[in-house]
Amino acid sequence: MLLLFLIIVALVFAIQAIRAQHLITSALWLAGVSALCSVLFFLYGAHLVAVIELSVGAGLVTVLFVFAISVAGDDVLEAKPVPPRFLTVGLAVLFILLLGWYVIPGSTASSASVVTNPPLSEVLWQERGLDLIVQIVLIFSGVLGLLGLLAEVKAPLDGSMAREIGARREHDLDALESQILNSQDVVK
Amino acid sequence: MLSVLTLLIIGIPWLGAACIWLAGDRRPKLLHALATSFAVLAAIVTLAVLPFSTSNAVIRIAMGGILGDFTLIPDGLGIFIAAIATVVGSAAVIFAIDYMGQHAHQLARFYALVLFFIGAMAGLALSGSLLFAFFFWEITALCSYALISFHNDNPRAVAGGIKALIMTQIGGVGLLGGALWVYAYFGNYQINTLLTQYHSLPPVVLSVMGFGFLIAAAAKSAQVPFHSWLPDAMEAPTPVTALIHAATMVNAGVYLLARFYPAFESIPGWSIAVMTVGVLSALLAGLMALFADDIKRVLAYSTISQLGYMFYAVGTGSIFASQFHLFSHAIFKALLFLSAGAVITSLDTRDLRKMGGLGKSMPFLRAMFVIGALGLIGLPIANGFFSKELILEGGLESGPLIFYLIMLFSAGVTALYTVRLLYMIFWGEPSGGPKPAHDGLPAMRVSLIVLAFGTLTTWLLAGSFSQMLSNTLPFHHLEAEPTIALVKQICLAPTTWIALGVIALGFIAWSARARFTAFAQAFRPIAEAGFGFEALNRQIVNGVKRSATFVQTSQTGQLNWNVVGILAGLVIVLLVVLRGV
Amino acid sequence: MSFSLFNLAFVCGIGLLGIGFYGLMVCRNLIKIVIALQILVKGALLGLVAAGNLNGQVNLGQSMALTVIVADTIVAVMGIALGVQIRRRVGTLDIRELSRLKG
Repeated sequence: MLLLFLIIVALVFAIQAIRAQHLITSALWLAGVSALCSVLFFLYGAHLVAVIELSVGAGLVTVLFVFAISVAGDDVLEAKPVPPRFLTVGLAVLFILLLGWYVIPGSTASSASVVTNPPLSEVLWQERGLDLIVQIVLIFSGVLGLLGLLAEVKAPLDGSMAREIGARREHDLDALESQILNSQDVVK
Repeated sequence: MLSVLTLLIIGIPWLGAACIWLAGDRRPKLLHALATSFAVLAAIVTLAVLPFSTSNAVIRIAMGGILGDFTLIPDGLGIFIAAIATVVGSAAVIFAIDYMGQHAHQLARFYALVLFFIGAMAGLALSGSLLFAFFFWEITALCSYALISFHNDNPRAVAGGIKALIMTQIGGVGLLGGALWVYAYFGNYQINTLLTQYHSLPPVVLSVMGFGFLIAAAAKSAQVPFHSWLPDAMEAPTPVTALIHAATMVNAGVYLLARFYPAFESIPGWSIAVMTVGVLSALLAGLMALFADDIKRVLAYSTISQLGYMFYAVGTGSIFASQFHLFSHAIFKALLFLSAGAVITSLDTRDLRKMGGLGKSMPFLRAMFVIGALGLIGLPIANGFFSKELILEGGLESGPLIFYLIMLFSAGVTALYTVRLLYMIFWGEPSGGPKPAHDGLPAMRVSLIVLAFGTLTTWLLAGSFSQMLSNTLPFHHLEAEPTIALVKQICLAPTTWIALGVIALGFIAWSARARFTAFAQAFRPIAEAGFGFEALNRQIVNGVKRSATFVQTSQTGQLNWNVVGILAGLVIVLLVVLRGV
Repeated sequence: MSFSLFNLAFVCGIGLLGIGFYGLMVCRNLIKIVIALQILVKGALLGLVAAGNLNGQVNLGQSMALTVIVADTIVAVMGIALGVQIRRRVGTLDIRELSRLKG
């Protein structure tokens, strides 16, 4: 029962994260999803991953999001989605149903063969040793990329792109204005 | 040993292309040296393999699963075309040392593409698997497009390249379809399988394949009604034109038909269709050459016309005559194009009306042109004479009389436009155009002399050539004849003397040209519009471009739509999987 | 179909996958897209752990899940850094506007 409750709450949290208006609310709902997932991991016997998920997913990533949102600003005006609603919702629901139909029936079968379950440190360092090397490389490249991205530019900021966006916004505003004026004329 | 050498025929040019690409643009001398040495080395290797031609596959590499076996068969047809590709390729590369010296930017791209092309052409001829022949065919089409649009700041060059690509790709689809059909019925892609077991295919399938291959060959060899890409492809640098659009790639169509002739000759209407395509091209292209004012366009139309002769020969069943003419044509047409290239760089113009009376100031080039013209017109002592007469004889024996008469008339037209070309450049009144800057630069002279020597002597190889073909092509049922017997047969046949008479008529028509001016004026617009086919081809090209623009709207570049596409694809995959399970 | 221990995790995983994809299709803010990606990966992680449990190889599932967490965190970090820089230089985080920029 607890399991069912956790799962339903996790799904609800996830939907709220997508639907939230403020970015910071969204990040908090995501933290909630992370926490619930970590409990689920624990219930399924993956103790180490549960702890790591809690500290990294619900901790580190959430802090990063909050930092980024405070720097980047909280744009409340969420523009309307571009693809039509029936398409997005329909495709997502269809995907979930089909994948569920594919996966779930096979997931009740218990594995008859005797599989070994070596201790975690052995699996981690010997069998999946290559994974660890990959992780180290990933972390290095991530750090280097981050340093490159966040480096402050000494020269004045190149505002050409900002100017282009500004010009386009002005153009859109003018079009909107003329449209309103025209419709006003029609009303008159 | 033989297998290694055969693999090297393709491998050496490709290795050269990679080296040149890595060497970069900064050191032109190094690039010239690299390109020349790789090309000449490939030619030497090919000529070394030539005496050992065999109808067995010397290389057989299983590529796994649906790709079948990669086989290389250096039989008579294949190794001879590979030899032409490498030898004429070397001549073109040597010529390019001085030609590209005048337009020296992006030299690495040029040489890399030319060498890549040479390797692919050799691979196409040597391949024993239809699927890999298709791959090589596509590579040659890609290199042709890239080299035609080489000066990609010239919109005409780019348009010419795209037009060539679209027209030849329509044919490529036919080839791929044929390859897949063979796989569906026989379980492998080997050409020899098709040639031995074609009678087990249902007649409808065989007919569709035969005509599909005919369309592929006609599009690649610029025959009517697909011919209009070749004159527009003259925007390419001249060594490229000489190599790709005279000596090798356009011959791929003739090679295809000759290779599959035993399988398709029994299809009702196929031989007549091939002959019709050949005859129409020979006649119409000859007439169009008569009115063209650009030196390279005249030669382009002339190429279409001569390829028509080869198609006609395949249609009448004289495979040896068609291949022999392919051989002679490759050499004398390359000679003519390279000499034209030398004239163009010397005068810096391509317009015939601005030339005239230059024989005195360019004696070497005049001599080269005259030798090439001897081959083109088909006068004795040049190789063109022997091959053309063989075609006409075979045509009289096995084809309808009306076709023979039209081909005879085309021979006269050939003489007429060739004489016109020569006269407008080297004889007659000077038209006040530019003065020649040189009479053939050293590297140009080397390749021209080699090709001229070839034009005058390669007919002597006819006997050994026919021997090689009959030994290594078990399905074509060819008979070998020694050279002396062939020469005697040609010289004594009445058709030869009739043909020479028609050629003489062509000369007389030129000298009496003042009488024909009214007729010429009336005919010119028709000829320049390409007899209506130009409009047809333009519509095809525009149609393809419009559909491309239409499909482009699906690439919105926005993440949301992209994810919609991804998810839709996932859903479809899941549906398919669930259906199967 | 009985909802045993095993099925439910898969149900949750697939549900999170679907919600994540929905988020990718609908959101126009760059930060929201990173959030949707995170949800997607949580779903995948659930699938991995549940499969490990089902199979009896819990530790194999754990080590794989660990690798995925590391990679996914780095993706989130890079995405957020990109978002901050873009906001500073261009002034907007709307992906529709951003994709209209050329050159």
